Amino acid sequence: MIIDFALLFSLLPAFAKGLSVSLSIATLSCCIGVFVGVPFGVITAYKSLLRYPVALYVLVIRGTPMLIQIFFALYCLPTLGIHFAPFWLAVCAIGLNSAAYVSQIIRSGIQAVNRGMLEAAQALGFSWWQTIWYFVLPHAIRITFPAIGNEFINLIKDSSLASTIGVMELTRTGQLKMAGSYDLITIWAGVGACYLIVTSLLSFVLYIFEKRINAHVENK
Amino acid sequence: MLKINKLCKKFNGKIVLDSISLNVKPGTIAVLLGPSGVGKSTLLRILNNLEIPDSGTIMLDGQALDLKIVNRSHIVGMVFQQFNLFENLTVEDNIILPLEKTTNISHEEAVKIARLLLEHYGLADKASSYPASLSGGQKQRLAIARAVALKPKIICFDEPTSALDPLLTNHVAASIQELAHKQFIVLVATHDTTLAQRLQSTIYLMKSGSIIASVDSKDFYTNRANYPEVDQFLAGFAQEVDGKNNLR
Repeated sequence: MIIDFALLFSLLPAFAKGLSVSLSIATLSCCIGVFVGVPFGVITAYKSLLRYPVALYVLVIRGTPMLIQIFFALYCLPTLGIHFAPFWLAVCAIGLNSAAYVSQIIRSGIQAVNRGMLEAAQALGFSWWQTIWYFVLPHAIRITFPAIGNEFINLIKDSSLASTIGVMELTRTGQLKMAGSYDLITIWAGVGACYLIVTSLLSFVLYIFEKRINAHVENK
Repeated sequence: MLKINKLCKKFNGKIVLDSISLNVKPGTIAVLLGPSGVGKSTLLRILNNLEIPDSGTIMLDGQALDLKIVNRSHIVGMVFQQFNLFENLTVEDNIILPLEKTTNISHEEAVKIARLLLEHYGLADKASSYPASLSGGQKQRLAIARAVALKPKIICFDEPTSALDPLLTNHVAASIQELAHKQFIVLVATHDTTLAQRLQSTIYLMKSGSIIASVDSKDFYTNRANYPEVDQFLAGFAQEVDGKNNLR
């Protein structure tokens, strides 16, 4: 048998602990991605001067590997007197990376919103902010929900990059256990299965949620 | 009284409205009749601050109408060609949200007004449905209810029959006529001569951004002798419509 199930079961508590750290990184990064990415998406969708610095930010983040961004944060921020624990450094780097992608997803969603509905909102006396809040964002999020869902799933996998700066998440746990047992196949199959189970469950939850938020566009 | 005086609008150098002037009293209907592209909708869009006129004045009850505040002050209401309902809100919330967020009306009061209007327009049983589940006629009645809820002085209809089954023309005419009876100033932009004739209105015949004649709707088909320009207009109109149909 290639997989040593006895070893695998003995490693489950350690994997569960590592997975909880991975999910914490992914969840917190997701929050940063949404809270930074959504306003950035709104800014880039409209013709304001702020869209230029945001576009530069998106260009730099999308044009460089996330690993380089994590190393950059690890080595450059201390020289500026900013010190973060590796866990928070990973959360910030992955979250800010995600924000760039989320902003572009939201921008495309906003640009796909029916103009007629926006004109109706204006004609009815809604302010610009009210129009964004009550009509543009709900539609943009509905339109872009599958893409945003993919981004969340990616965050779970991207959290493995935190292992490179010593955060004891799932991948790092696998690396350390490998040193103790040398059964590489069992360990990495176990680590891979953990990621697969979590991302599959999340995909299912996102699918259910997508059906719910699309309920109003389906004829009843 | 609504007085539009010498209103002009160009898009990329092309004249869309060429010195349009017309007066509409409360309780009356002005129908802007003409084929596509003659500026009917642009005129309504200007009244709703969705386009900015190049020149001309708009007066309401003797005072200049400030188009910048026309939306917030709910002086003008609009029923759009494609209805433009809020698809993410229920039928009831399409009326409640504008009342609640753009006026000082409380939520309870807004709900009361919405229910009365839905009852009046035969949509009470659809209150918790979403607009996607409504028929074309129901969508239009909801769009009218949404506009009426804010109690504007002027209500504009942009091509009210174009997205509907022709059999519904009588129902649309009745809904519009009812608003005139309630002393609203009603403007209707349409290329539907049947609708124009069925409304008790003044019909303004439009061509190339100008009003070329005005005629009382009851004389539109019956008293042509006094309106030779109507025959001329309808002949040209029929040619344009035929030309467009041939292109399709």
